[in-house]
Amino acid sequence: MIEIRDIWKSFDGKQVHRGLSLDIPEHETTVILGKSGGGKSILLKMIIGLILPDSGTIQVDGREVTTMAYSDLRALRRKFGFLFQGAALFDSMSVGENVALPLRYMPEQKKTDITARIREALRTVGLENTEDLMPSSLSGGMRKRVGLARAIVQTPPYVLYDEPTTGLDLGTADEINLLVNELRDRLGVTSIVVTHDVRSAFVMGNRFAVLDEGKFIAAGTADEIRTSGNEDVRKYIDSSLPMQGEAP
Amino acid sequence: MSTVRFQLFFGFLGEKALSFFEKLGRYFLDIGWALRNLGTIRYYARNIAGQMVQIGNNSIPTVIFVSAFVGMVTSVQSAHQLYVWLPRSVVGNLVIKTVLLELTPLLTALVLAGKVGATITAELGSMRVTEQIDALESLAFDSISFLITPRVLAGTVMFPVLTVIGDFVALLGGLLGASVVTHIAPDEFISGMRDSFLVSDAVYGIIKSMFFGFAITSIACFQGYHVEGGSEGVGKSTMQTVVLSCLTVVVLDFLLASVLL
Ligand SMILES: Nc1ncnc2c1ncn2[C@@H]1O[C@H](COP(=O)(O)OP(=O)(O)OP(=O)(O)O)[C@@H](O)[C@H]1O
Ligand SMILES: [Mg+2]
Repeated sequence: MIEIRDIWKSFDGKQVHRGLSLDIPEHETTVILGKSGGGKSILLKMIIGLILPDSGTIQVDGREVTTMAYSDLRALRRKFGFLFQGAALFDSMSVGENVALPLRYMPEQKKTDITARIREALRTVGLENTEDLMPSSLSGGMRKRVGLARAIVQTPPYVLYDEPTTGLDLGTADEINLLVNELRDRLGVTSIVVTHDVRSAFVMGNRFAVLDEGKFIAAGTADEIRTSGNEDVRKYIDSSLPMQGEAP
Repeated sequence: MSTVRFQLFFGFLGEKALSFFEKLGRYFLDIGWALRNLGTIRYYARNIAGQMVQIGNNSIPTVIFVSAFVGMVTSVQSAHQLYVWLPRSVVGNLVIKTVLLELTPLLTALVLAGKVGATITAELGSMRVTEQIDALESLAFDSISFLITPRVLAGTVMFPVLTVIGDFVALLGGLLGASVVTHIAPDEFISGMRDSFLVSDAVYGIIKSMFFGFAITSIACFQGYHVEGGSEGVGKSTMQTVVLSCLTVVVLDFLLASVLL
């Protein structure tokens, strides 16, 4: 359970968040929709303490993140997988080493075990036998998928996805959608997905939150959002209306 | 009018001073943190070896080149300044003193401030702007210990090694310069060097280079780790690293001479 309460944040006098509040229920996928530059990526980083809000509180499993000691913060981060918007692969390391990094300092893991897990994680994102490639030789979509493999390789209870399907073809995007759903249904992973891809959003999401002008103006299930009378909410999902009634 | 300008001027100075001291404070906090985690070095051992190669081995050609010319020019100039009635072997005395005490450690450091310092800042800076440092933190790594500790440690260990190499090359260069350009017999030159060689001089130069290595790598790491403003910011910080670390090296050089000599 993640509880976000009254978050305010500004950069150089520019107010980004104006009192954000949201609950992220466990074992479900919450999709955050909102304008470009609206502060979605910043919010994800706040949840694992990479950025501090100016005011407000964030609690993960009942523990306050914003005032946490650094050693506790590191322990907390082990419970999270994080897919960065730009993938953020380490370009001095090969694909395999990138994916191995979350596992590197887990002493109980055996070496062979690690190799198998890396191969498995790469296979689930459709990138078999790419272990030895360097990130600089990958396409944007491939980098994104390596980032995804790195985020889920240690099967953390929470995964935060920043634009997981942006820049991917429909077929690959669907595979990613299925993967996110499988993680939730099989392992009970709690996910937050930030996306502009409304089609994927309604395949993956159980719950939706619309961020507008620094606040969440709506939060709820797909139907609640779709039938919302609020004009501001509808403008984020209009393009998905033809899908209404379709089962994901 | 003039009081307004006066206030603006001092307001500006005050702001600059404040941000300087704020930055200095942050520098000591970060580097302090990097050193405090020396104990957990086994986690980062892999990085240290890589950095030693990067900072040390890859700088050897540069150091050899610079030192050879430093040695040659020192001996040519010493011979030029010498009174005719002094024995020619005095050139050897002068060369070994200046090379060991001052020239090799200082010039090696100034050249490597550009090479090593700029490399480190550009590398860490581009990791910062492409969110690789955030990614390390998100994977529960302590990014300062992972990135800064091995680089500073490698710099502090490898600069003295490079200086020892530089010392040898510079003395050979001095011998070469003396015999080829100023026609001083090699055995005369060598006996001059032998007369005034002190182990403590060599040790002093090596200790100095440890400080230089620490200063350059820690400044470069700090500058790169806190880059702001995209690739333009990386370029700006890299330039600042070279300037800042050169200034720090000459100031340290003076301070260490005052304290240790
Ligand atoms: N380090 C920073 N310094 C200054 N401003 C920043 C910084 N990081 C983010 N911002 C500003 O905060 C705002 C929100 O950024 P954020 O990256 O969260 O947007 P976003 O909702 O993820 O947008 P997008 O959908 O385009 O990715 C932007 O206007 C950005 O300019
Ligand atoms: Mg974003």
